[in-house]
Amino acid sequence: MSLVVARNEWRRLFMTPLAWVLLAAVLAILAYFFLVSLGAFLTLMPKIAGIADAPGVTDLVVLPLFRGVASLLLIIVPMLGMRAIAADRQNGSLVLLLASGIGDARIVLGKYIGLLGFIVVFIVFSSLMPLSLDIGTALDIGRIATAIIGLILFSSALTGIAVAASAATQSPALAASIALVSNLLLWMLDAGARYEGVSSTFINYLALPTHLEPFLHGIVSTVDVVYFVLIALVALTLATRRVGALRTRG
Amino acid sequence: MIEDTLLRLEGVGRALAGRIVVDDLNLTLDRGTVLGVLGVNGAGKSTTLKMICGILSPSAGRVLISGADFRENPRTGASAIGYLPEQPPLYAELRVEEYLSFCARLRHRSGTLLKAAVNSAIDRCGLGDVRHRLLGNLSKGFQQRAGIAQAIVHDPSLIVLDEPSSGLDPLQSSNIRSLIRELGKDRAVILSTHLIADVNQCCDRVAILHRGKLRYDGPVNVLADDHSVLIRIAADVKSEAWTSIAGVESAQFVDGAWRIARSGDASIAQLSDAIVRKEWGLLELRPQQASLEQVFLRIASADDVAVAA
Repeated sequence: MSLVVARNEWRRLFMTPLAWVLLAAVLAILAYFFLVSLGAFLTLMPKIAGIADAPGVTDLVVLPLFRGVASLLLIIVPMLGMRAIAADRQNGSLVLLLASGIGDARIVLGKYIGLLGFIVVFIVFSSLMPLSLDIGTALDIGRIATAIIGLILFSSALTGIAVAASAATQSPALAASIALVSNLLLWMLDAGARYEGVSSTFINYLALPTHLEPFLHGIVSTVDVVYFVLIALVALTLATRRVGALRTRG
Repeated sequence: MIEDTLLRLEGVGRALAGRIVVDDLNLTLDRGTVLGVLGVNGAGKSTTLKMICGILSPSAGRVLISGADFRENPRTGASAIGYLPEQPPLYAELRVEEYLSFCARLRHRSGTLLKAAVNSAIDRCGLGDVRHRLLGNLSKGFQQRAGIAQAIVHDPSLIVLDEPSSGLDPLQSSNIRSLIRELGKDRAVILSTHLIADVNQCCDRVAILHRGKLRYDGPVNVLADDHSVLIRIAADVKSEAWTSIAGVESAQFVDGAWRIARSGDASIAQLSDAIVRKEWGLLELRPQQASLEQVFLRIASADDVAVAA
């Protein structure tokens, strides 16, 4: 039943101009960033060609682009997810789901899957740009694959946060703000600790970059996977409780 | 045996933000009945309907759908109910047909059953000409129809409609009323409204809610006698002649007939005997029933006076 909701959510996202405009604008920004770093790499290439074990195009073009995608996801996921539940509450269409008897958890999960599906499409589109380099040069496909998996896991956590924020309020704009602030907080949480040179404390564990970076370096670790899954689970549980509270608190 | 009592409310109450919105509501509804829930704004109508449909849990009492507690069997309860809230729950960016398909899928319909359910809802609600149009571009009347279509797409036995004719023009309201009457033939319909015309034209039974309490529950046509009688006579008499008859409190000549208000203890038989004795040439004598509007206004205003005092 969640999949029915997810399909509808996905379909409705593609029907709204917001999603298309956002997708087009962000891909244009990434394309510009990609071309600039590719240009810089071509200038730099003759100089580093003689150095042993020199960084290649994957290190200097592809991975910085993926870091750019991650930074943009911090902003676009809240914007895409703000309507998930808040707008449905605002225009009364959430009642349709509440009255259907499918259960609060399934409603939230459906919204989450639909939104995550859309974001995965965005990640796939963004990855096509660097992957096109494979025509002319040898890419480290293994590392690129782990980076894409990392980005998908990263966005699964961000999508959870966006859905939870959207459940917390009736105003989509407020939902986007809550999600954006939460994302930025989690992104910069350990900035102070890192500045002091501390990298293995609990505060480092809580921060998003700590768990995304290993994927960009080709390392898939259970700790990082669990971290992203945990954030998504906690967020979805909160969202479900909030939707449930609509029945009891009105 | 088919359970014909589709809905039973047992002492249902609801408090919102510390204020009692619905208090100790007891109500039953059988198949084939259209029940009008009448009340002024804020009387607790929408809250009651939300509790019936499981959108809001009651803080006291039980809602039984076909004999089963809604809270214990939410899925069974939900499949037996079709609900149109005050604001139709539409997705403006979807087309009528895909929206109804989604609603049917939510209610566990698939394949040919789904197609049949959607087509039947579209036909019943007269949405054939707009089935491929975006919901957001439809007129208010068609949006309301689409809202009703989503409430009946899964063929529920109980249909709950919250102010279905609000904001519609007279023609659209009349169409919606005929649709409701049609739906009420083989299922139970609850219709909340503050329009007496809605109740008069579509309902068999009326429940009047005021300040969260059920103040009247009974058939629409048989309402309490308010002790007035309409009399036409051949003789030309003055109103003083009427008040001289025992039991007559006042007499007014309106549109060629006398409207006689009698005291509670004087029977209509005594009054007609007196007229015959006076040889006024009795042409017509019709006991007046209080109109629904009068009963409704009496309930609403009596309480306001009590509160003001």
